[in-house]
Amino acid sequence: MSALVALKLNELAKGQRAAVDFVVTADDMLTFANLSGDHNPLHTDDDFARNRGFLGRVVYGALLAAKVSQLIGMRLPGRDSVWTALSLDFRKPLYVGEAARAEGVVEAVSESGGMVRLKLTLHAGEKLLAKGKAEVVVGQ
Amino acid sequence: MTTAAYYAQLTQVFHHVFDDDSIVVTPELTAKDVDEWDSLGHMRLIMAVEETFRTKFSAAEVNRLKNVGEFVALIEAKAAG
Repeated sequence: MSALVALKLNELAKGQRAAVDFVVTADDMLTFANLSGDHNPLHTDDDFARNRGFLGRVVYGALLAAKVSQLIGMRLPGRDSVWTALSLDFRKPLYVGEAARAEGVVEAVSESGGMVRLKLTLHAGEKLLAKGKAEVVVGQ
Repeated sequence: MTTAAYYAQLTQVFHHVFDDDSIVVTPELTAKDVDEWDSLGHMRLIMAVEETFRTKFSAAEVNRLKNVGEFVALIEAKAAG
């Protein structure tokens, strides 16, 4: 488990960044399938996914969002924050067992407004998986 | 920049933040006049205004505001330096 940080608004600045490295396992996929009720074979059946032009079953986009949740809740800004908006634009598929990274960069800080906006990118090596933004309310 | 121009630009910010193009931004406008202008909407508005007008407010300045007219006066004062 990654260390929990607790950055306050006045400790955040434009350009500040943090990242979470992760690998989605077959167990993660099964757990999420049962949790969400999404048993679409694109995510559960390698043969089905290959027949549709993918290299294997595709990791659920929501699992990428889950790693963004870890990034925000644990690292940037961490404990004293809650995200209030999130957008992700998916570009390329992530496959089970593939090493990936979710990174957030502070794009704007409003001390009087009590929130920050993060620019988000998710990569597997050089491959861009998704990009997006998060709006985060932060403790003073 | 004229006061009217500030209102015109602020109107665009309100329409975007509250996703409502029918909002008419007047000096008398307050949070109770706009459906989505709750505490979270207020945070979004402040951040959007800071970015649009390339300025920063203190929490005390924001907390003193009673209506949009005072908000525009604050923005103009910041721009005047």
